[in-house]
Amino acid sequence: MNAMIDDETLDRQLREAAPYIDDDGFTARVMASLPAAQRDPRWLRAMILLGLAILGSGIAYVLSGGFIREGMIQLSNFPIWLLLVFAFGCGLVVGAFAVIFAIRKTPEVRDLTRLEF
Amino acid sequence: MELTDAGFIARVLANDDQHAFGELVRRHQSSVRGLLRQLTRTDISLADDLAQETFLRAYKNIRSFRGEARFSTWLYRIAYNCFREDARKRKELVGVDEAQLQAEHDPQTVDPGLRHDLMHALNLLPRNERTAVVLCCQNGLSHDEAARVLDIPLGTVKTNVLRGREKLKRTLAAWGPN
Repeated sequence: MNAMIDDETLDRQLREAAPYIDDDGFTARVMASLPAAQRDPRWLRAMILLGLAILGSGIAYVLSGGFIREGMIQLSNFPIWLLLVFAFGCGLVVGAFAVIFAIRKTPEVRDLTRLEF
Repeated sequence: MELTDAGFIARVLANDDQHAFGELVRRHQSSVRGLLRQLTRTDISLADDLAQETFLRAYKNIRSFRGEARFSTWLYRIAYNCFREDARKRKELVGVDEAQLQAEHDPQTVDPGLRHDLMHALNLLPRNERTAVVLCCQNGLSHDEAARVLDIPLGTVKTNVLRGREKLKRTLAAWGPN
């Protein structure tokens, strides 16, 4: 009986003994067996959403009577710096939501930030 | 700059990009096929069929990959499930094989031409110990990751790795030059 090797040596030898298996057409066979990619008509979905948004806005405008028009006139009387601050604030809120959504949807960024969602 | 696994996965998720998935297959095919060859005791044809099934399932279920574990760990888990299902179908025993145990206790019965062959010694281990050793020692998974892949308690993985290592060392020492 010979002396036994240590764990570290054994692990190293195991890693070295594992041969790299050449692809040899394996990936091509897998790709051939995949179901056909679903081509989402993304442009159609975008157009439908845009159309619905415009339609909704139009209906809201008609149903509101003069409310929205009066609101716009009142808004136009505000000082320009106040409108800029308001627009900037809105942009910040929307931007913050966009960043959170992007992090949630992107595994690479999520790993980078190590945030739990 | 080469994309990471997460980058390719993001492409698959966003655009159903099969080329990106193909790149993932190319990257991981060797380790997945290697694991399955160990599990099936070097039945290359069966191992490759199971590997193909593994990647097909991975593609179909990629939306369930939440990025909490490494992509390779997730693939190993699918591969192991494929192997277990196939073994059940074939009514194989998933556990200790008597013939293996006998050979293990009597290393002198092994073909002298195979002495010092680490992979052969690995094949003599009972399946649960062999799988744990392959995952942890050969593929570098942590005990915790291996426990998730094999769906067994962490303590069992540690025990299997420990026992597997000891048996391997004993077998190799017995086969070594006198």
